[in-house]
Amino acid sequence: MSSCRSVSHFLRASPKASGSVDLPGSGLRSRGLFSGAVLKPCSLLASSAGQLRECKPMASNSAVVRASSRKLENVEELIDSVETFILDCDGVVWKGDKLIDGVPETLDMLRAKGKRLVFVTNNSTKSRKQYGKKFETLGLNVTEEEIFASSFAAAAYLESINFPKDKKIYVIGEDGILKELELAGFQYFGGPADGEKKIELKPGFMMHHDENVGAVVVGFDRHFNYYKVQYGTLCIRENPGCLFIATNRDAVTHLTDAQEWAGGGSMVGALCGSTQKEPIVVGKPSTFMMDYLANKFGITKSQICMVGDRLDTDILFGQNGGCRTLLVLSGVTTLERLESPNNSIQPDFYTNQLSDLLAVKAAAV
Amino acid sequence: MAPISQFSASNRFLCPQSAKDLLESVDVFLFDCDGVIWKGDKLIEGVPDALQSLRSWRKKLAFVTNNCLKSRKQYVKKFQELGLQVGEDEIFCSSFAAAMFLKMNDFPRDKKVYVVGEDGMLEEMALAGYECLGGTQDGFKQVDFKSNTKFEHDENVGAVVVGLDTYINYYKMQYATLCIRENRGCLFIATNRDSVGNLTDLQEWPVTGAMVGAICGATQKEPIVVGKPSTFLMDFMRDRFKVPTSRMCMVGDRLDSDILFGLNAGCKTLLVLSVDGARQSTPPNTSLESLVSSSMTPSARIPHDQHANA
Repeated sequence: MSSCRSVSHFLRASPKASGSVDLPGSGLRSRGLFSGAVLKPCSLLASSAGQLRECKPMASNSAVVRASSRKLENVEELIDSVETFILDCDGVVWKGDKLIDGVPETLDMLRAKGKRLVFVTNNSTKSRKQYGKKFETLGLNVTEEEIFASSFAAAAYLESINFPKDKKIYVIGEDGILKELELAGFQYFGGPADGEKKIELKPGFMMHHDENVGAVVVGFDRHFNYYKVQYGTLCIRENPGCLFIATNRDAVTHLTDAQEWAGGGSMVGALCGSTQKEPIVVGKPSTFMMDYLANKFGITKSQICMVGDRLDTDILFGQNGGCRTLLVLSGVTTLERLESPNNSIQPDFYTNQLSDLLAVKAAAV
Repeated sequence: MAPISQFSASNRFLCPQSAKDLLESVDVFLFDCDGVIWKGDKLIEGVPDALQSLRSWRKKLAFVTNNCLKSRKQYVKKFQELGLQVGEDEIFCSSFAAAMFLKMNDFPRDKKVYVVGEDGMLEEMALAGYECLGGTQDGFKQVDFKSNTKFEHDENVGAVVVGLDTYINYYKMQYATLCIRENRGCLFIATNRDSVGNLTDLQEWPVTGAMVGAICGATQKEPIVVGKPSTFLMDFMRDRFKVPTSRMCMVGDRLDSDILFGLNAGCKTLLVLSVDGARQSTPPNTSLESLVSSSMTPSARIPHDQHANA
């Protein structure tokens, strides 16, 4: 630490003004600072029923060397070769509560061509039913059975592993998760109501937790607080075999179209920090939903095209699942980001927005 | 944990001879607090005698804690309330570490600091002359999602400091996230990354690792860690006590912060095992030579490799 001033200077001196200097990142490293434990690179990703595998969330499938993404030119060829389109919602269909231009016509066109449409979103705040209503409000013709939110994924995963109905589930998350667990017939508690609970750290105080909790499900939670962190932590650390399930680990999300908001990845990150455990991730980029859909609808993955705006969730989901991938630039990812040397996730194609698929009509004329 | 090399493979249980050797080879004892001196607000048995003995043998003492809920001044008061006389200059808490980090790196006074933390942190920052936002009061702020108004943040925040915060909420997570993601060059500093700790006498509670995990999750960035096991505070102790680290001994109950801190800094290390029926224990030994071990807990070990039993 030869470049540091004597520490005694700082221990004795009273505060005084110093020059306005930007702190150089490299300068800090030269002082031998410890940068803290590296975040574990993998989560456990739920794949097909009951199976777990590790997946590096920020890298694409390392077994395949992928060419750079190509701008989508031959729309007709893509549409003809695909039987099912899996569509992300935020940044593809809507932004916040605003429909993106040309989406209704595009969906109609794809349906008219006999394509199956499935909507897979990592947003766990709503149940499928509630999403159905959102689509309806925006004037889109989408049924509940076509919607797969990560709230549904959590319930579906627990069903797939035959999670016992006499065990309970503690939920750090919002209404969507509670509703899906209810529909699946599970016992659950927690959710938004625990957002009102306070703790007092004083002598003799003890927080008790239900020893019958067999799973903690963590998702995006705007009512997040210390009570929930402790309750979830106690269950995971002390109940033998208690599962730690995350709906998703998105860093930021678009709650409004004006800006980014801290996403489910932050709630999950908090529980990882206190338990030192990695969760089972059921939402994108885990292939659990892909396997579930393929199984449910009897579709071949090579005939699926995943359309999304996020490289590390949507596109990675598609690649992990072995299907085609189309990145739209109407959401969080810019062309600059896609083409950046720091980005290793290359979708098969990219285009500005979903309605670019309507070019197939023009070609046919 | 960082790789630890070149230490003998055996763990040495503290016995009268090794305690004597330790006392002869060490001038300064660095103590962790939670789990070593106290549990929550309850003093651990035998501690006053141990500290008194060490002082009478002219050993210097320092208290190095990752708990940033209090400032050094507030810690002096806590020690007093427990009947222990400890000077402010003997306390090195992570709230102090965070403020000193900013000072040592000439953090500009015209920039602000957003604190995900409580009063202790705010006090140390104010003492160091920095303007802070956040702290406990933001724990009562709600985000208005209904009106679709923009969540504003101060573009003049140049550092986000994350410590233990029992008032953590979405408002703070979002504010900190926006500062780190959108304010050019904004620092992300963590007091430590401990997972759980004895904040009360009866059980463990999530500590700073949870808050830091939340901000890492939203920013996908790694923080600069100023508390244990980072050796940042060691410079202060070398300067304060004027002895090489080889003549210091870190006494703590956590392998991944206390012992790693000591090993990283080249100190001797003494692991204090929890007072727990399931753990190995030996009868207390009141002879002077093993006073340190018998006074701290019924049993203690010096770990020399990373596989020491915890």
